[in-house]
Amino acid sequence: MWRRLKFLWPFFYRARERDMQEELEALAVIGDRRELGSLAIAAENARNEWRPEWLSSLAWDIRYAARGLVRDRTFALVSILSIGLGVGANSAIYSLVDQALFRLLPVHEPERLVLLNWRGRTVGPGWGTGNLLSFPLYKDLGAEDSVFEGLFARYPTAVQCSLRGAAEEVPAELVSGTYFRVLGVKAAFGRLLDDSDDRRPGEHPVAVVSYNFWKTRLGAASDVIGMKILINSFPMTIVGVAPETFRGLDWGYIPALWIPTMMKKQATPEFDWLDNRRGRWVHVFGRLKPGLSIATAQAGLQPRFKAMLDADTKRAGWPQVAPGVLRDYLASTLELLPAGHGRSELRGTLQTPLLILLAATGLVLLLACMNVANLCLARAYSRRRETALRMSLGASRRRLTQAMLAQSLVLAVAGAITGLLLVPLVTRTLIALLPENVSLSSGVNPGVLMFSIAAAVSTSLLFGLVPAFHAGRTKPNAVLKEESGGVAPGVGLRKALVTSQIALALVLLIGAGLFVRTFAALKAQGPGFNATNLFRFQIDPAKSGHNGLRAKRVTEQVLDLVRQLPGVKTAGLSFQELLNGYAWGQPITIDDGRRRVTDGAILCNGISPGFLETLGIPILAGRGFNARDAHDDASLGFRVAIVNESFAKRYFGDKSPIGARLALGDGPNVKADLEIVGVMGNFHYRGLRTLEEQAAFPALAGQTTGGTIFVRSVIRSESAFASVREAARRVDPNMPVTELRTVDDQLDRSLMNERILATLASAFAALAVLLATLGVYGVISFVTTRRTREIGIRLALGSSRASAVRLILQNAIVMVGIGVAIAMPVVWALGRLVENQLFGVRAMDGVTITGAVLLVAAASLGASVVPARRAVVRNLTETLRLE
Amino acid sequence: MDLLQGTLDMLVLRTLLGGPLHGYGVAKAIRASSNEELDIEFGSLYPALKRLELKGWIGSDWAVSDHNRKAKFYRLTAAGRKQLRRERSEWDTFVSTVARIMGPRPEDA
Repeated sequence: MWRRLKFLWPFFYRARERDMQEELEALAVIGDRRELGSLAIAAENARNEWRPEWLSSLAWDIRYAARGLVRDRTFALVSILSIGLGVGANSAIYSLVDQALFRLLPVHEPERLVLLNWRGRTVGPGWGTGNLLSFPLYKDLGAEDSVFEGLFARYPTAVQCSLRGAAEEVPAELVSGTYFRVLGVKAAFGRLLDDSDDRRPGEHPVAVVSYNFWKTRLGAASDVIGMKILINSFPMTIVGVAPETFRGLDWGYIPALWIPTMMKKQATPEFDWLDNRRGRWVHVFGRLKPGLSIATAQAGLQPRFKAMLDADTKRAGWPQVAPGVLRDYLASTLELLPAGHGRSELRGTLQTPLLILLAATGLVLLLACMNVANLCLARAYSRRRETALRMSLGASRRRLTQAMLAQSLVLAVAGAITGLLLVPLVTRTLIALLPENVSLSSGVNPGVLMFSIAAAVSTSLLFGLVPAFHAGRTKPNAVLKEESGGVAPGVGLRKALVTSQIALALVLLIGAGLFVRTFAALKAQGPGFNATNLFRFQIDPAKSGHNGLRAKRVTEQVLDLVRQLPGVKTAGLSFQELLNGYAWGQPITIDDGRRRVTDGAILCNGISPGFLETLGIPILAGRGFNARDAHDDASLGFRVAIVNESFAKRYFGDKSPIGARLALGDGPNVKADLEIVGVMGNFHYRGLRTLEEQAAFPALAGQTTGGTIFVRSVIRSESAFASVREAARRVDPNMPVTELRTVDDQLDRSLMNERILATLASAFAALAVLLATLGVYGVISFVTTRRTREIGIRLALGSSRASAVRLILQNAIVMVGIGVAIAMPVVWALGRLVENQLFGVRAMDGVTITGAVLLVAAASLGASVVPARRAVVRNLTETLRLE
Repeated sequence: MDLLQGTLDMLVLRTLLGGPLHGYGVAKAIRASSNEELDIEFGSLYPALKRLELKGWIGSDWAVSDHNRKAKFYRLTAAGRKQLRRERSEWDTFVSTVARIMGPRPEDA
């Protein structure tokens, strides 16, 4: 079969043909003429071996179809563009979905990797996001060997790294020595971390660098092994380079360095929980033994986990907790989550938008498909005499269907190529909308290629079969005898197709409208403070070798210098970043004579004097923090607190919260000794969608240090950036200023999902409306041409041009009306699926729906007016003579 | 005598086992080794050669014949040899099976 396909290639075929002629001529000289018989018959029989009948007829059909398409350029162009746009949009989104959601980690047998998740009640604080366990728990689990082939722990963070000269912040993963072995990753050069790096805290100053870091920052140096680098001002030795393909476990977080967990104190000076049984901070991954299912492994793990929980409550240092808490704690289980895709915060947030977009592009492709079906029907109609003639001359139905499908195939291939050319364009648009740390490629990989081809071919079959089926039913005699006029076959089908197109376009347009309104609503609502001329940056003196009170001094010095800069009005420090999705949350005990615990976590933050003023948050009662709250005595800890308006209303009602006392945590033995000194206005902390109860504590109390500094300038923020860097450099030339950007920029980042949905959904909806409009135009042109004589007669009998146009427009109005009727229940059903992506607008939003219907109706009628007017304006006599 | 359906390919392969031959040579060789019983029309032999060539069982090269004339010579390839062995064993099975059913000649008795 495949060998024979070569013979469809004209050059190849011609060469073989020439060769055969020569051979036969030579034989004619050697052999007996009589014995050889007719050489022409021999040659013809040989040709049939090369190219069986069906193959050569297919080749003929394809060439004929291609020639026909070249002749009918408009039809070809519109069809190919329709398929191309549909396939291109689909493949691009599919490429991203594939990279974001489906791709397995490039490690050994990724499907055997699991992530350990604590289900139930934890006691003690956590540092980080999701699936956190304590390091001692990880070590206890490591002794277990009936379930796991191996376990590793890791903590994703960022460190200040300096090669020579100024330090920069780079993503670094703290990993147990088992990390690379369990993953099955081999070094590109040198060695990776191993069990020998797991022995004693502080005694393994070694690091593995990523391939990319080695190439870009170390200049691909050949003597990289043994090179010294400063990590948070602590000297460490590079022992190896990771392979190029390995980029960590998280989509959206690519570590540049891997450092042993034993170096935790050096890598994360802010906290050292290596021996803390109740402090949860590591993610623990395991590799299941071969053939073990997750359910079996999980069941096998529980008895041991239960014993560990029991043992923990009997250890010294176990806090006194309420009986209910203890019961829930002991009832906790250890869950195993499949981790072959790694672990990603970003994937979780992007999943829904990406799938919505994939569905949207699927609809666009369907629309494109209908367009081409429609065009093929029209073309089949215009060629009906030719078809009928072929049928009456004895062409089989199979043969005619094959001819039709050949045309579809040519269109599909051309469309797929066009689509693939569009993929990088669409992908790049989306990548531009994503944060820069997301590793996505705009290239076309084999999976995407297969997807595009499958999409184009299935599309071509869908639209190719409709006219083919239709042609099979025509009666050749009727067609050949047919005078023009009469009811054209297939008009009903074409109208149905266009009506569905209108409905689909409407669904997409309403969806896009909802996302645009959501984006606009969030933008209009804002963060609860004025973001104009407001910017922020981070410093972390502890990572630049400033310990204890020195770190606090450095922070204060930077704040003071920034406040004195020309163009700067106020500045203040916040422990936590704002509007990035994360927060410091924990339950709080309130005591105002009556002791109670808040329902769930309260969002907490540490703020310096001047922070609220800088953001412009009003103090509604009491006072803000002052210099005395920012004391140096670490033993005192926090002594005062400010709560926000929501907090005050929820837990104190009409009474004033001033003077009431708080404690962090919900245990029965926590001492409520933080006095509420003020009530601040509400503002958005985690993101624009949520407005929670908040409590704030003095950021610079005791030895606490570093964080995000917010600056209100009287000049444009960007023009103050250079002087801010300079100010920090004056305090410590080696301490980097990171994430220096305007709050507006931060707001934009927090609206990433909404922007992606609004932008791309609008683009796809526009495409859908365009395709539907083309469909309407095609059908109305067709109907009008069929009715030219009728219109001519009407005009001759004295009816006005306007009424004739109206007659034609009626067709379009009916199609739009039915389209709307089909679309509404679909919008209602789909609306429930996207509801949680919306904000400030309901799925069945009247304004959006009305707007979308009007737009689609206007586009459809606009597309109909053109052919209608053309028919009517045409000279009356000419019209009549035409028939 | 007519040829059994599907045996032509096998005969061509068997004939080429003796060495390369041109198309006319193959026809002559088959006729000769069948004691002139089989007369295969060149019109059906020639496409068979092309078919076998397409399947990669035989190859062809231009060469000079005994009479100092240029002709295209066909030769058995390794794949062709393997195919011949396969067809040969199938043929043997076929012959012995048919022979078993037919048995000794009762109709002569």
